[in-house]
Amino acid sequence: MNGAARLRPLAEIRGKPRGFAATGMVAVLLVTAGLVAFPRMVASPYALHLMILFFLSVAMGESWNIIGGYCGQYSVGHAAYFGVGSYATLMLLQYRHVAPWWGVWVAIVAALIVSLVIGSICFRLRGPYFVLASIAVAEIIRLIVLNWKQFTNGAEGILLVDLPPLEFGGRVLTDWLSKTPFYYLSLVLGLTTLLVNYVVEHSKLGYCLQAIREDQDAAHSLGISPPFYKNVALAISAVFTALCGVFYGLYIGFIDPASVLAVDLSVQMVLICIIGGIATNFGPVVGALVLVPLSEALRANLLSKLLFSVGLVKESSRLGGFLKENLAHAHVLIYGILVVVVILFMPDGVLGFAKKLIAKAARPLSAEPSPLIGGIDGPA
Amino acid sequence: MALLEINHVFKFFGGLAANSDIVCSVEKGMILGLIGPNGSGKTTLFNCITGYYPPSKGEIIFNGQRINGLEPDRVCKLGMARTWQKVRPLAKLSVLENVMVGALARTNSLKVARHAAMEQLQQMRMERRAHFPAGGLSIGERKKLEVARVLATKPELILLDEVMGGLNPAESEEIIQLIIDIKKRGLTQMVIEHDMKAIMRISDRVVVLNSGEKLAEGAPQEVVRNPAVITAYLGDANLA
Repeated sequence: MNGAARLRPLAEIRGKPRGFAATGMVAVLLVTAGLVAFPRMVASPYALHLMILFFLSVAMGESWNIIGGYCGQYSVGHAAYFGVGSYATLMLLQYRHVAPWWGVWVAIVAALIVSLVIGSICFRLRGPYFVLASIAVAEIIRLIVLNWKQFTNGAEGILLVDLPPLEFGGRVLTDWLSKTPFYYLSLVLGLTTLLVNYVVEHSKLGYCLQAIREDQDAAHSLGISPPFYKNVALAISAVFTALCGVFYGLYIGFIDPASVLAVDLSVQMVLICIIGGIATNFGPVVGALVLVPLSEALRANLLSKLLFSVGLVKESSRLGGFLKENLAHAHVLIYGILVVVVILFMPDGVLGFAKKLIAKAARPLSAEPSPLIGGIDGPA
Repeated sequence: MALLEINHVFKFFGGLAANSDIVCSVEKGMILGLIGPNGSGKTTLFNCITGYYPPSKGEIIFNGQRINGLEPDRVCKLGMARTWQKVRPLAKLSVLENVMVGALARTNSLKVARHAAMEQLQQMRMERRAHFPAGGLSIGERKKLEVARVLATKPELILLDEVMGGLNPAESEEIIQLIIDIKKRGLTQMVIEHDMKAIMRISDRVVVLNSGEKLAEGAPQEVVRNPAVITAYLGDANLA
């Protein structure tokens, strides 16, 4: 069975049978309705916290997907926009008492400017050189924030002391004391970025970005200006990443260079997309669905607890003690191994893998061979 | 007035003159064949014309406008489009989407582009393949796709870089018919080709390059009898 040599229609590969758009729409609406009702049904703050982390991860992944997925420019420096967004808003709030719903506009403008500067530097390079340059520029920004103590408070970071209540027409809408307002805010952020991805994919911009990803020189000869479209994509991506940063700062209430400007954060954004399925609308959603519970479970040492409860390892034994002691610390390692496994065995991400399985199940092996098998050469 | 004029174009890579003092012009509606041994500077000349390299010296005039140093996307919008010797399908996009990307050079509407692209594919009898990924096509179909994509940008001048390379005789014949069809529609073409039989059949004029210099120019029959051309291709008969 040589699957690669057989030519199948893209609709089958991409797993979009007829009527997908309509059923997909209904599914999205139903899920959204469920998510809107969620805080009324579940009171646990921890559950809400997990959902907020999930939405934030979705938003971060979807934001990165625009430049990294559709345009194929693997920026590993997106923490720069995240950090710039959160620092702009929190510094204005803490030092100048500017309410965050005004500060957020400053964050957007700041992210736009930073993205244009970074774009004009890094887009001179292609492929791995671009990746390295994007890391370098983000690190420069982190070091500036870390060392410019009078301005940014350096490594001590910024602690958000009090968030002014949100008033509208003299009525207090929320005082931000519970997690519920943050829940809805992150839900809106996640859905907005999902929608932005959808609009980008189904527009001229999306076609131009994908053409650049597939072959920059060919795209250039077909009337597409790579620098222009790359910068547009980066700007859109940067603005939404900055919004994620703003949200993070307001929700967690504390930012420092190590949490909002570190390379780890940039890598995490990339991983959400790669694990879920790059350059697809729902890839980052799936990625977040896998990664958020996974990292949470590893952090809470659920793995060793599972081993004990199944009876595979006795908690009182030496190995049990060792695992209990060290498995929690090894969560980064385990996370890394899982990521490698996914990348090795599911090159199109979990979403792509699932679609392939569904396509295989829908087409039994006994089906007639395609009349197109003849006349197809191997890759040229 | 000629559609394309190449006036004393030089292109240096360090000390190497990949193109040196090339002078030629392409009249509207004609097919200019460009031949020469490997490394004679044919593709470099294409790259200079379409904006991938700015010429080191000299002038390239298209439709009365100097286009030296314009970016390839600008050159495309002015009405010039090229194919690639090594085909460059947008592998993960469908065949239709590939052609749509070309059509989007002239419109902002996906609907208009999709319609134009489908028409283009029908003209080339490739509509059966419209929804297949371009990366899975055979080499013959990839070459046809290159031409379809280029035509979708609505060019006046098409530069074909070895569109028959690696094809079997039946596929080559199909491409030759395609080139003749394109000519009938009034488009101008510049064709790089190694297949001498093909070049003799389709070209109105032939330019021969050797070591970056123009060796000869003339009608196809004239050029193949030119002793200098024979020497360049086969070596000096007296030394053999």
